[in-house]
Order: sequence, then C-alpha cells, then structure tokens
Amino acid sequence: MPNLPERKVGIIACSGEELAVGTVSRLAALKVLHELRPGKTVTICLPLFLAGGEGDRAFARFHPTITVDGCELRCAARGTEMYSGKPTASVVITELAAENGVGHIDGRRTLNQAGQKAVELTAERLTSLVDEILATKTPGKPLVSITAPPEQPKAVGCACGSGIPVQTVSIEGQPVELLALPLIFSNLRERGRAPDVVADELMASVEIYNAVPVGAKAAYRTAILREYVAYCRGGMR
Amino acid sequence: MSHHPCVVVIPCSGIGKAFGTVSREAAYELCENFRPADTNLVALSKLVLGEEEAQARVRSNAAVTIDGCALMCASKLVKLSGGTVAREISVLDVFRRHKRLKPEGIAELNEAGKKLARVIAAEISETLDEVLAESQGGHHA
Repeated sequence: MPNLPERKVGIIACSGEELAVGTVSRLAALKVLHELRPGKTVTICLPLFLAGGEGDRAFARFHPTITVDGCELRCAARGTEMYSGKPTASVVITELAAENGVGHIDGRRTLNQAGQKAVELTAERLTSLVDEILATKTPGKPLVSITAPPEQPKAVGCACGSGIPVQTVSIEGQPVELLALPLIFSNLRERGRAPDVVADELMASVEIYNAVPVGAKAAYRTAILREYVAYCRGGMR
Repeated sequence: MSHHPCVVVIPCSGIGKAFGTVSREAAYELCENFRPADTNLVALSKLVLGEEEAQARVRSNAAVTIDGCALMCASKLVKLSGGTVAREISVLDVFRRHKRLKPEGIAELNEAGKKLARVIAAEISETLDEVLAESQGGHHA
C-alpha cells in the first residue's frame, strides 16, 4: 500500500562537473542522504526539472527543499525556483567555506584536503537545516512526502526521488493540477474506502498536498469525488 | 584568428544511481586523460539555469553527451539549448556489453565502475576525430 504521508526534506545539489566545489555539493548531499539523515531526506537530479515530466517539476512544491550550490551562479537554487518551486533554504559552498576559513578547494575529481573539509562543513550545515525544517511546520508548505509510489506511471530512469504523481482535474471547467492525487486515490481504495463515505477524508488528504482556495472548496470537493468514483470504477473492471 | 576546434562533453549529473557517477567519471577520464586538447567539459546544471556562456559553448561546438539512465537528461538538455548532439552515449548500453563491470557506489565508485568509465571514455575517444571532422565540415560548408 502507498506510504502516506511521510515527512522528508528534498536536497538538490548542483553537482557542477566543471569545478571542485560542484563535486563538494554532490558529495555533501550524498553524505546527508545516505549517512546523516537517511529516511528523512530525498533528492532529485537537477536536470530532471527540464528533461523530466510534470511529476519531476512538482518536486519543490511538494517537498520542503534545500539547494546546495558550489558557486555564486547558484544553478541549483535558481533552476529549482524557475522550474519547480522556491527552495526553503539554500547553501552556497564558496560562501560557507569563506565563512569558515577553508583554504583553496581543488580537485574536481579527487578533492584536496580543503575540499574534503568543505564536504564535512556543508553536510553539517545541511543536516542542521534538515532538522530545523522537520521541526517547523510552515503553513501552506506541507512537510510531507510520499515514498515509492507503486502505481506511478513513469517507471524509467533514476533512483532519485523524481516523479511525484500529479493529476489534472477539471474544476468548474478549469484544468487544475493536483499533487499526489493518484496516490491518495490508491491509498483510499486499498483501504476499502467507498466513494459514498470518503469525501471528507479525501478532501483532508488533498489539502495536505495542495493549496485549495477557500472560496472553491465545494467545487474541489465535487470534482475530486467525481474523479475518485471514476477511479474506483476503473479499478473494478 | 583561428581557434582549435573542440568537442563539448556533457555528463548527466545523475545523483540517484551509480550509473550517473559513471557518466561523470567517464567525462573526466575523457577530458583529463584521453583527449584533454580536444574536449571541453560543460556542467549540465548551467544549461538547466540557461547560463549564457555554457549555452554559447554548446551551440558553437559539437557535443558528446553521456547519460546514466533512460531519461537521457544530458542529451535532451543539449538539444533544448540549441546544441547538436554528435554522439549520444548511454552508460546502460555500454554496460550491457560489459556485464562484468557492474558499477556500485554513488559517492565513491567501485573498481568495476571506474573501469566501465574508462571503457566509455576510450570508446568516445576513438570516435572523436570523426566527430571533429564532421563538425568542421558542418561549420565550413
């Protein structure tokens, strides 16, 4: 059954291949993801915002996200904001290194000692930001995520946290993209929740992941329930 | 003034699997060891941002992309940026021909992964003169 909801923080590294600080960004992100806060963090390859689908572009609207950039170009922070959503926090390694008196970072393929020190410092900073974000529930930005959606249509590709399921629903004649809706439907149906008793629960789940305009709640409710009925009928064929 | 023609090399930046790290390592092998005088590494993150200097380099040179998964982000983004993909390398395709070289480790590749990266770099290196000739022909036609 889909695991819903689970609180995680997204970390997006620039991974810049041209500079050693890009390597620092990548290794620091991986350290947090795999060693320091496994299970609490998730990532996505930055290029997927352009090369991937709608689900990939929804990443930073869905997860509270920290970007980690090697240099002042801030490709990860700016790219994330342009194509996905505003990051909750961002770290720039050249700035962090300067603040902490780290020497010249070199060796994009094999980092020198200063580069390794920068990885440690950046990972520490990221970890502290992850903990802060998880401890603070920001209104309007849900600190939740969904893991391993089994019915997600897009199956090819990377093992990063790409492909948040989205569904476009017609609400009063307007197409509205709703995050996580396929997974919410799947979750409710697998729990045996019939359409005639599920409306309140359905709306509560939808509102965790999506901002529903106050004046449009009734229209959202009608449209989403209609889609859920269709979804359940489809599954019974 | 004439300038030495070169090929831009763009790995995929994949961070979710070891195959993404192989793409990065293969690009370094190619640009630092096999063909340093003929290649120029471009960070894919700059293309995501739409950075002008990176876009100009991609538009004015033939590109070799190295992708770690079936989504082929590097290849797609070079095309989106107006570049010409002269050779599109899929790490998975090369791995299928070298099944003993199973890469493991994202932050630190195992020895098999490093060998796979060298195989990829060597294969690209062998075709690079052809790519350079094609691109010069195209530019001067």
